[in-house]
Amino acid sequence: MTSSNASTVGHRPAATTGRDELERRTTVELADILRDIIGEDYLAGVDITVDTTFNADLELESIEFVSLVARLRERFGSGVDFASFLAEMDVDDVIGLTVGDLVQFIADSVDAQGAPAHTTGS
Amino acid sequence: MAEILANGVRLHVQRIPPSRRTAGDAPTVVMLHGMIMDNISAFYFGLGNCLAAAGCDVICYDLRGHGRSERTRDGYTMAESIADLRGLLDALGVDRPVHLVGNSYGATLALAFGLDHADQVESLTLIEPPFLVDGLGEEMARSLEQLLAAMSDQEVEQWLADGAGRAIGRSMRAARALLRETTIGQDMLAIPSFPPARLAGLNVPVLAVYGANSEIVNQAESLVGLMPDCTLTILEHTTHMVLREAADYLRDLMRWWLFRRREEMPQRRAGARFVTPDWVRQMVPPPGLNSARRGNDTVPSPNRA
Repeated sequence: MTSSNASTVGHRPAATTGRDELERRTTVELADILRDIIGEDYLAGVDITVDTTFNADLELESIEFVSLVARLRERFGSGVDFASFLAEMDVDDVIGLTVGDLVQFIADSVDAQGAPAHTTGS
Repeated sequence: MAEILANGVRLHVQRIPPSRRTAGDAPTVVMLHGMIMDNISAFYFGLGNCLAAAGCDVICYDLRGHGRSERTRDGYTMAESIADLRGLLDALGVDRPVHLVGNSYGATLALAFGLDHADQVESLTLIEPPFLVDGLGEEMARSLEQLLAAMSDQEVEQWLADGAGRAIGRSMRAARALLRETTIGQDMLAIPSFPPARLAGLNVPVLAVYGANSEIVNQAESLVGLMPDCTLTILEHTTHMVLREAADYLRDLMRWWLFRRREEMPQRRAGARFVTPDWVRQMVPPPGLNSARRGNDTVPSPNRA
């Protein structure tokens, strides 16, 4: 996997509260989309966290990952450049990501835009 | 925009907009995947995001009966596949010539579309196209029969029943339904061969890619010899699955083909080949080989060394 934007969750120094909150809410949103795509029946009892892997934990089909990325594109718009993030990854690289990898990338992109991606109070 | 009605069938489509500007209009690239055990995802992840990041307007879709597209009972002839693609481009409002990139049957479809609609095609990239001047339909139908027979094996049934895994189990069941419940087999049999005279008149640049270890690599010479503007590359140490086995090189190759074709064709990097583990050369399987196949970490993988 060789994406300049790819990074791994859990190796950063203590982040600001704003960043923590952004990652927490992005994780919740991502988990909601995943439950919608995969189905509650299969995910009953599965706790989706930053450490959850798409292949080993969720057994996500590659075509479901297509749906996931499409939903995320709709949600975050052109400010989050998923094409560049995924550009040099093979299918196996993509499915081998963790939820945290994706959350980190989205949070980095949102931070770089300098605009809040989440409305308050929801 | 994930679902579009084209030629009377619901097709699952993903359009990836260019994430950077290039000189002139963004090239529109349409990707056509292979048959039965394939869907939108191989191209979407293998090349689609990369080419969008390079400045292309990328359109990927599930062919009729595959992935998330509608599985109609019939309509799998080459003529219908061409009509599906033509209807899709109309529905998306694509009114400029496109670059078609096809894999396996998708490559055969790309070539057939190019012959029927040369004015609507900017270039063709054919990855492992099954190609025969005579008997193409019979060959395609025979390979589907073999696939169905392999999938219907009792051991496969048992494996699926025992929990082959959610992802594999679902894709296997969908593939069997496509083979058993639709006319795809008969429709393949009816695929016409490519008349040499029409190929000779194809005024579109073609890039053909085969794997050196593919069972159909011997078809490359005939294909290239019949078309006036065809560039062929045969990749060592790859098979019919070249899109998966050499995706990194294909990304370089496609960027060259679409943006820098006047330059020299990129060479595949040394070291890109598959490294045969020592135990295979010595024919002495390690003691934990089977448990490693089930995903345990007891045997060191050569890729992690």
